[in-house]
Amino acid sequence: MKDIMKITLNLVVIFVASGVILAVVFANTAPRIAKIKVEEQEKALKLLMPDAASIPKAGDWTTPEGKHAEFFTAKDAQGGDMGYIASTFGKGYSSYIKMLVALNKDMTIKQINVLDHAETPGLGDEIEQAYFQDRFKGKTLEQLEVIKQPDPNKIEAISGATISSRAVTKGIKTGVEMLKERYMSNANEGK
Amino acid sequence: MSAQAEKISYVGLIKNGIFGENPIFRVALSLCPAVAVTSTVKGGVLMGVGVLFVQTMVNLTVSIFRKFINPRVRIPAYILIIATWVTVTDLSLNAFAHDVYKMIGLYIKLIVAFAIILSRAELFASKNKVTPSFFDGLGMGIGFLLALTFISFFRELVGKGSLFGHAIVSTKPVLIFIMPAGGFFVVGLLMGLFNWIDIKFFGGGGASGGGH
Repeated sequence: MKDIMKITLNLVVIFVASGVILAVVFANTAPRIAKIKVEEQEKALKLLMPDAASIPKAGDWTTPEGKHAEFFTAKDAQGGDMGYIASTFGKGYSSYIKMLVALNKDMTIKQINVLDHAETPGLGDEIEQAYFQDRFKGKTLEQLEVIKQPDPNKIEAISGATISSRAVTKGIKTGVEMLKERYMSNANEGK
Repeated sequence: MSAQAEKISYVGLIKNGIFGENPIFRVALSLCPAVAVTSTVKGGVLMGVGVLFVQTMVNLTVSIFRKFINPRVRIPAYILIIATWVTVTDLSLNAFAHDVYKMIGLYIKLIVAFAIILSRAELFASKNKVTPSFFDGLGMGIGFLLALTFISFFRELVGKGSLFGHAIVSTKPVLIFIMPAGGFFVVGLLMGLFNWIDIKFFGGGGASGGGH
């Protein structure tokens, strides 16, 4: 009985000490990390719509996985809409993949960008590469389907990273669906 | 082993990590992560650097607190020390060296589950003084880094025809070498090569490990 108390106390001390260390480190790093993430997103937005005069936030939305995401409207110098951008999530092999998808005014994909993920290095992290992201360029909502052969009208999966490829495609798809719903109906109401 | 280890020099400890008990080629620990990240040289080297740092710090910490940690709960205590170091490294790099983090961040998180870290904490750091434990961690880390560099060099060259992402060979690469199965082939072949060199030139008996 005395033994079990000693062991318990020993473990408790170690766990509390680690908890305190982690809390201190987290408190000191979290604001900086959050700030860096915002800056990175702003940079990524500009990269997706380099011609836009401004890219104001247009609203928030929730993905089917319950993740909080945002959407933006790219404006030209005259204040007209140039395109739409949404942040979106896909559930990958070992993480939620955070992405941005930029649409042209005709609702085809202009470009995508992977912001954040923790997929397997060497396999899943190929989703960061331009050659994969370029496969989304010009695609419509209906063409967002993953297959294993090259096909100009579909998304070809990365070999060894089918799950990550599917997750990106699914996330992009929900993002495009959301943007279409918001902006197509708005346009109709305007008429 | 520990009594004998205390007598040998610090240089000897580092050498032990690189040759005598090389984590990959001799002890055959942490093969799964070693295979997972070595499809490119960049991946192999970055993962090696991450393990080198975490292994050294964990060895140091375990050795400092070795008298305090109750032997009956040592494994959860070690795991927690490893997890704490990994998380502290992950958060600090993310906040203060974001460019480095962008390259190495994915690899750091995986280190929590590496058998080699726990194994050195249990086999060496828990039984030895602080300074030898530090050098043991350093040696094991360097051994791991070198092993991963060798494996990834071979795999990227043969499997992708490139090195550090730059195309070198223009012929069609042998794709199997960048797949996990090919990784095990490469580890096996290099392990055999190490044993052959050991037996042929140093008169050793060769070695093989358990594998985790």
